[in-house]
Formats: sequence, C-alpha cells, structure tokens
Amino acid sequence: MVTEEEIEQVAKFMKIDVHNHKEYVEKVHNMIDFFDILDSAGVEEEEVTMNDLPLSTLREDKHIPFEDKLIEKLKNFKGTYVRAPKMI
Amino acid sequence: MNLKISALEFVEQVKNGNISAEDFVSATIDRIKNIDEKLHAYLQVNSKAIEQASQIDKKIKSGEKVGKCFGMPISVKDNICVKHSKTTCASKMLENFVAPYDATVISKLKEQDAVFVGKVNLDEFAMGLTTEFSAYGPSRNPWNTDYVPGGSSGGSAVAVSAFECVASLGSDTGGSVRNPASFCSTVGYKPTYGLISRYGLISYANSIEQIGPITRTVKDTAFLLNILSGMDSHDNTTIDNGQVDYLSCIDSGIEGKKIGIIQEMIGEGIDPSVLSATNNAVSKLEGLGAICESVSIDMVKYSVASYYTITATEAGSNLARYDNLRYGYDFPVEGFEFNSYISKARTKFGPEVIRRMILGGFVPSAGHAGKYFLKALKVKSKLTKEVSEAFKKYDYLVAPTVPVLPFKIGEKIDDPIALFLVDINTVLSNLTGIPSISVPYSISNGLPIGIQLMAKPNDDKSLLQVARALESTVRLPEVPV
Repeated sequence: MVTEEEIEQVAKFMKIDVHNHKEYVEKVHNMIDFFDILDSAGVEEEEVTMNDLPLSTLREDKHIPFEDKLIEKLKNFKGTYVRAPKMI
Repeated sequence: MNLKISALEFVEQVKNGNISAEDFVSATIDRIKNIDEKLHAYLQVNSKAIEQASQIDKKIKSGEKVGKCFGMPISVKDNICVKHSKTTCASKMLENFVAPYDATVISKLKEQDAVFVGKVNLDEFAMGLTTEFSAYGPSRNPWNTDYVPGGSSGGSAVAVSAFECVASLGSDTGGSVRNPASFCSTVGYKPTYGLISRYGLISYANSIEQIGPITRTVKDTAFLLNILSGMDSHDNTTIDNGQVDYLSCIDSGIEGKKIGIIQEMIGEGIDPSVLSATNNAVSKLEGLGAICESVSIDMVKYSVASYYTITATEAGSNLARYDNLRYGYDFPVEGFEFNSYISKARTKFGPEVIRRMILGGFVPSAGHAGKYFLKALKVKSKLTKEVSEAFKKYDYLVAPTVPVLPFKIGEKIDDPIALFLVDINTVLSNLTGIPSISVPYSISNGLPIGIQLMAKPNDDKSLLQVARALESTVRLPEVPV
C-alpha cells in the first residue's frame, strides 16, 4: 500500500512542489493503485526483451569544430562568471 | 476555392494549373481566420505561408524542378521543431522557446516544397487524450464543438477535419494520432517504430513514440509516408525501409487475407454504436474477400497499466531538463536556493504533466521498481510475443480505434483513470512497435467512429492496402462546421 508520505517524498526528489496541492497526491495515489493490476499479469517468469541496435546505425564519431564560446550563450552569464542559484 | 480536397487532388490540380498554390494557401489562411476562433486548432499561424506558396508558384511557372508537395499547406503539432518558430508543446514551460533547428520530418517536407501553415494544439507535452490539458485551452471537435477532438494530436485532427490544412503531422505515443483521427473522422497513422525519424520531436517517451501523419484519405497517408520515412543519422532508432513505395499497388485488395478481431478490444465497456460499427466493418472486410476470425490477446488487459508505467518513467527522465537552467521560462536566480529554483520553474507544468512526472519518479524507484516498472516491461515483452503469435496466423488485426464515442469537454478531465482506459485499444501497437492506422468509418448521433487496423512490424505497405480497401466501402457525411 503506497502512502501519501512516499508520494510526497518522490515529488521532492523530482523537484516538484506538492505541499499545497493535495489533489495531486490523491490522484497519483489512485493511478498507482490502478497499476496494481500488473500483479495479476502472471509475468514473473517472463524475460524483458530489448531491441539491439547495431553500431552501424550510429552516425560517424568525428570531431566537428565549434568556435563559439558556449559559456557566453548562457542567459545568466555576467561577463566573467555565471550567476546560478545557491547550492545548500 | 474548394478546400475540401485531398492532398493528392491538390497536387494534381496545381500540376495541371487548375489552381495555384498561392490561391489555395491564401484560402486556407482565410478559412483559419474564419473558423479557428471557434475550434482553436492553431497555436500559431505562419504569416509567411502565402509568400512561400507564391515562391513555389514561381518555380512551377519558370519550369524549375518542384518538390512533390507543390506548395501543399500542412500543419505541424507543436511538439515538432520548426526552425525559428516557437515550439511550445502547449506548455507555459516552453512559452517562448524558439526551435534552433528543423526536425528531420520538417526538412524532408521543406525539400519537397510543402508549406507549413502553422503549429497546432496538443495536450501539454503530448500527455493526454483530449487536448484539454493544453496550457492554451482545448481544441474543439468540428463535428460538435461541445465535444473533445481527442488527443494528444487534437489540433492536427481538427485542422484536417475542418479543412484548415490538407494534412498534418502529429505524434503517437499511446494513440495520440489515431485517437483524435477517430474522434474527428480523419485517417491517422502510427508507423512501425523507427520508420519515421524522431529527430526534432520533443521527447516524451522515446522508446515508444512515433511521428505520424493525419490526412483525409489513406492514399494521402501513403504519399506522405513516401516522403517522411527512411533512415536518419540523427536518430539511431530509425530503420531501413528499403525505399518502399507505399502508394504503388495500394488498391490491390485483400482477397484471401486473414484478419484477427481482437476480442479484448470489443468486450466490456464498449459503446454499443462502436461495437455495431466494428461488426459492420468486419462484414465489409469479409465482403472484400478477407477471412475474419476472433483472436484473443490476453495481455491487452494489462497493456494500459504497462504503458502508463513505462511512459511515466521515460517522461520523468525526459522532462527533467526543464529546470530553467537549460530550458524553461525565465526568472532571475537571485533569492533562490538550487532545489527551490527548479521547483519554482516546474510550477509552469500543468496538472497532468506534474502527475506523470511524480509517477515517473515513483514507479522505477528503489523498493517499487520490481512491482511496477519491471513488471510493466515484462508485460510489454509478453504482449509482443502474443501479438507475434497472432501474426503467424493472421495478416492483420482489427478493432475499434477507441471503445467509446467522443465525449463532452470536461466530462472526464477530473478522472485520470477513466481517461487512461480510453487508450486501451491503441497502446498495444506502441508497446509492440507494430504499425497501425485509424480509418474513419461511421457517424453515430453526429459523432465519428474510427476502425483500427494493425499489421506486423515493417508491413506498413500492406497495412495501407487493407486500410484503403476498408476506406473504399465507406461514404461519410461532410463535417458540419
């Protein structure tokens, strides 16, 4: 049984503020309850299949020179530094 | 100017000199101005469309080589990048995002002298089934404007159905081209996974989604598929289709073909008029020489839960980039700590996107991944095996595209599970990668019903043949708008 605290914790990890939005938590809870139908699918022994992509589908790994200074394109570039939010 | 023509009819008329591209595009823009306030298919209209069409007319007059589209007016779902155009994904998060490059599908159509008349509405980040989750307001069904047009490519289907363009590009992750095509009485196509490049499609669920055309006729879809399909070095999931011509032999018929009717898609909960239309379509297919039988695909019951688990996980990853550091809307960093800065940026997401991002963090998380995400992947694998078994016996599979008629705007928006279940017939082909098409089939109480046909992977050409055969049995009334 999934608790609302677990959902709120995941929302925090996803950097989504749900503190003032109980309706989100309730609807997400209902959605997760719906996914419980997977328990009766009987797929425990099933293997997960993956599509193999051959290396030939990848474009050539070659250096393409780029002359622009990327840092100057950042919107918070202040000439000699980039302004960013505090990391606490 | 008669706008009620197909893409191929447009090309024929321009080639013959009966109409000019400029006049047709101009009439299309007038049509948009006259009716789109009511329908809200378009988020942006290309102010240079008429001028671009006149340039193509000049090329035609001067005898220069002209691309296959001859100035055809096409609309584009607003999650596909068109260079120097806003690409908003119908979200406040990308309100001012201007695409710095063309998606591959756009480059290909530009090379063939298509004219893009505008960007059309969708559910925010393609997450939804009704276009009600657009941050810019819902689109309305041209058959009855109180009803949803379907989604997430609702704007595309409305624009084609209401003659606001000749064809449109949508994207289909769980039915987002086929569902609105069914609800608006147009053709909607989801190709084999990898047939059309996703380069330039803003990601929602990369392992499943495909760009697909919405058109008036099956032949128009084949025409566009000839242009759009093929390998792309920018998208390493694209496949080599061997330069197939999807239009050739499209009228070859279906004599002797075997078609499986998926029982789980016509069972409990189906609207009686949808069931009746499906049975009628099966009779028509039998009348054309096909052999139709019931087939059971047990994993269909779990396919919706599997689909939403997998796509929520991929969405949680793909939308993590919207943090106002690389993408997002602009507000200053002063006064914010890192986590709250990103949280504030993400208040620009709408409610459905937020729900799916939270789900996408939850279902693959430690302690829950085995119960949800891993199980969903196993259901996907088993479903793929069951479908593959079915195709050993049958050439095609058939079912209604959507088990219900279009519903009223606002009717299901507060019930996410009820909305999820609308997808039950369409997610199968996304999870398994097979091609599928919705063919407009009938009208019930003024509301459209589409029939869905599916084929094996890479059998897109054959699928278009059976779709064409079914389409040839249908005579539908004109859209009332």
